[in-house]
Amino acid sequence: MRTRFILGAAYAALVSACCIGLCGSAVRAQADTPETHGTSPKATYKEVVDDYGRAVRIPQPVQRIVSLAPSLTETIYALGLQDRLVGDTDYCDYPADAQKKTKVGGTINPNLEQIVALRPDLVLVTKNLNHIETVQALDNLGLASYATDTHTVQGIISSTERLADILGVSEAGASLGADLEHRLADLQQRLSGIPPRRVLFVVWSDPLISVGKDTFIGDALRWAGASSIVESAQDWPQMNLEEVVRLQPEFLVFAAAHGDSVEASFDSLAERPGWRGLDAVRQRHFAIISDAVNRPAPRIVSAIEELARQLHPEAFSGPSEEPADKKPPVSFSRHHNENRDATEICLCVR
Amino acid sequence: MSSSARGFAEAPQLNADVRLSVEQVSYAYSANPTQAPLFTLEATSFQARPGELVAVLGPNASGKSTLLKLIAGTLEPLSGRVLLNGFATHTLPPRTRGQRIAMVQQESPLLFPSRAWEFVLQGRHAHGRSLRFETADDVLIARNALAQVGAEHLSDRWMDQISGGEKQRVILARALAQQPLLLLLDEPTLHLDIGAQVDLLETLRRLAAANRYTVVVVTHDLNLAGQYADLVALFQKGKCLRVGAPATVFHRELLEQVFQTQLTVELASSGRPRVSLPPVP
Amino acid sequence: MRPLTLSRLAGYCALLGAVLFIVVVIALKMGAVPVSLYGLGHDLIRVAFRQSSQLSTEYQLIIFDIRLPRILLAIFVGASLSVAGSGFQALLRNPLADPYVLGVSSGASVGAILALILETRVALSPAVAVVFTPLGAFLGATLTVSAVYLLGRREGEIDTPTLLLAGVISASFLSAIIMFFMSTLTGGNYHGLAFWMMGDLSTPIQPLLGWILRVGFFVAAGTIYMTATDLNLLLAGEQEAMHLGVDVRRVRVVVYIAASLLTALAVSVSGAIAFVGLLVPHAMRLLFGSDHRVLLPTAALGGAIALVVADTLARTVVSPSEVPVGAMTALAGAPLFLYLLRRRAL
Repeated sequence: MRTRFILGAAYAALVSACCIGLCGSAVRAQADTPETHGTSPKATYKEVVDDYGRAVRIPQPVQRIVSLAPSLTETIYALGLQDRLVGDTDYCDYPADAQKKTKVGGTINPNLEQIVALRPDLVLVTKNLNHIETVQALDNLGLASYATDTHTVQGIISSTERLADILGVSEAGASLGADLEHRLADLQQRLSGIPPRRVLFVVWSDPLISVGKDTFIGDALRWAGASSIVESAQDWPQMNLEEVVRLQPEFLVFAAAHGDSVEASFDSLAERPGWRGLDAVRQRHFAIISDAVNRPAPRIVSAIEELARQLHPEAFSGPSEEPADKKPPVSFSRHHNENRDATEICLCVR
Repeated sequence: MSSSARGFAEAPQLNADVRLSVEQVSYAYSANPTQAPLFTLEATSFQARPGELVAVLGPNASGKSTLLKLIAGTLEPLSGRVLLNGFATHTLPPRTRGQRIAMVQQESPLLFPSRAWEFVLQGRHAHGRSLRFETADDVLIARNALAQVGAEHLSDRWMDQISGGEKQRVILARALAQQPLLLLLDEPTLHLDIGAQVDLLETLRRLAAANRYTVVVVTHDLNLAGQYADLVALFQKGKCLRVGAPATVFHRELLEQVFQTQLTVELASSGRPRVSLPPVP
Repeated sequence: MRPLTLSRLAGYCALLGAVLFIVVVIALKMGAVPVSLYGLGHDLIRVAFRQSSQLSTEYQLIIFDIRLPRILLAIFVGASLSVAGSGFQALLRNPLADPYVLGVSSGASVGAILALILETRVALSPAVAVVFTPLGAFLGATLTVSAVYLLGRREGEIDTPTLLLAGVISASFLSAIIMFFMSTLTGGNYHGLAFWMMGDLSTPIQPLLGWILRVGFFVAAGTIYMTATDLNLLLAGEQEAMHLGVDVRRVRVVVYIAASLLTALAVSVSGAIAFVGLLVPHAMRLLFGSDHRVLLPTAALGGAIALVVADTLARTVVSPSEVPVGAMTALAGAPLFLYLLRRRAL
């Protein structure tokens, strides 16, 4: 008799738990009407397919955007839409104005409450930095989200143009795209006929991590007249130092926001056992480019150009070629062949 | 207590007077199935009636504890059977076994301390449904059990704060709370002083008579067995050498052979034998 | 002599239930977006009277779609882990046992990693991809539980020391596999998995998974509760319990399966949150005694309270970022463990 009482109480608890759940879903069902999203009273939508293959209905016009990746934030600024950006992540630091936007947390588990409180019309995510669970959660909350996925530099450009279309600034997108294409074509022309430099892109030195060939960084290297010695299909393969020594890359490439700190750490790197087996270390053949190369955004083209200058300075000689914001290299001498056992050559710029 | 509707394997004995019947029970234990058994208990038989106290006597490692487990039904005999009121103890469902057979043995250390009354109440678990709160009847029976062993004053004490002898009494009270037919004790006098030993055996004899228990006590204490037991089973190395009244079992040559030492046996006026060491010359 | 009565049990549960209610209300109030208690109460009444269209919708979304499900998740995960911990402590007769000692969390992690790796290789629709990781974790957990059960037997039935050894060794072996696989994951996934392994309630789960968790909790915890008095006797010793009328074999199997199920469900959705399953039972024993009829429900409620508090702290201390909730429970749990040790409650 008593046992039944206990059981009964237990199942009463179960029922009340169900009630809480049902309450929640009932409220959400009532809330799932188009007028309750965003600030625009008219309900016109654009149907697009994002890079997850999902069909997304985006309210038009898009006045409030939340970006969940630094590259997307940069792209928005590049398209001149920064006034519509209402929130971004803690890591969105370029341009400097982006740091002043309301922060919604990290890229992996952004603060959903904060996003909802900003009442965005559209949330932008990337396939490889953000998580599918975040996308699904945004869906469940009734917020429109669009995902991009880029593996090549061309892909970055076309993705930027597509984003511009969605956001209603197709002309800006087209002109930005055309400009980037022009610069790339120019670069390609300069580098035609010059054999690519064999490089190792160093993401992290301890353990030694580089980039795979199917990433956009890998593609960027190719555009800069470099050939990565890494053949891996993984995105961030961990490299065996012995293997790297055997392959003897001509240059080590580093990406950093501040070039000076990398120089200092390069010196300490050169002191480490094993690393001295690399010709590139002994001869101080390293290139430093801005961390724009790490983000699939329009700025990557600048990073590509920067790298190309450092790897193939001979292709950029001539007075008209000097861009205003670039200092001339400290010291360099021309390379025609493989003979590089001469004095130390530092090609570090900036 | 009487035959239930469940179909156990055995039919009730014809002789309703016998409660416990050990019939040709043997056992063998080997660590590895392919090896020869490390230990065997050879076929043993005896019978006990309600109110009787049986002493299983013998030196260490003679199979006494194994026999007790076979009687309790927690081990399955290799051959033969143990019948309690006609039902084989090994085939009893755990709940029924808890209602009929109570075991008192050296306790494993308690993981989390409890009070004495909680401990004794555990004996009521086999009665009633599994998940339940104890009834007033349960409380009464537990209190009575403590009274019967003279441990009422220990009721509210923590089990890890009482002496060995007191703990022994509480454990016995728990066994009594089970209201069993059969009370089994494994070397209960091991850590007790002589006064406590006598006290315990007196209590057991008294309870056996009053509540009509059949009590089986495993011991190696000759004089306690001789003084209090109605039936003695003498064991050596897994073999039951003799079963009978103490006077018939306590023969000097037999005891000397079993215990490997010189002894003298005297018969007291009560008819009970008394064993002592021979005088030092 | 004061044996346990239903009214005393109900009293303890009501007390903890009240504490849980207060904690939930506070948790609803706290977060990146401020919510006033008066407004909250007002809105809940409006919802009850079906006037929800008058609510500010972001508010609604935040409370009902983000905070409340998360709090509910914390309640059930905390309760599951605590009940499982109590069950394992009784089953293994070891006060240091926690729900993960038999390798359940390591198995779940391996399953989750394999699911993640598979996800990148195979194109899945987003609806499937979201449940893929918890599903993989659950499969990994149940496979591990089955393997440990088979390894932990002697002569056909569970032998407690063997079970413990089998569990510990399986956990170590699986941890090595985890390390091996984690090196093959890409950057974002790696970070996400590390977060999950530390215990993470921030990722909202699909409603279906939430239901499975709740129903599973009541079924499994209810099953363990049916053996509550048996567990009390089991603590006195396995032999003694047998003589007192407990079907030790059956109880061991039932508790093992039920407690493992609870743990597997909890870990699949939230990763391996530390210390809750170990310490909440001990704390409840300190407060309410070791009788499992009381311990199991109070541990469930206590676990719910503990995890809601920890989760609320995890999502507010470095707002808008988050600390994984496992870090919070470890930070609070270790000092509490030491305190209990000093008081010799362990």
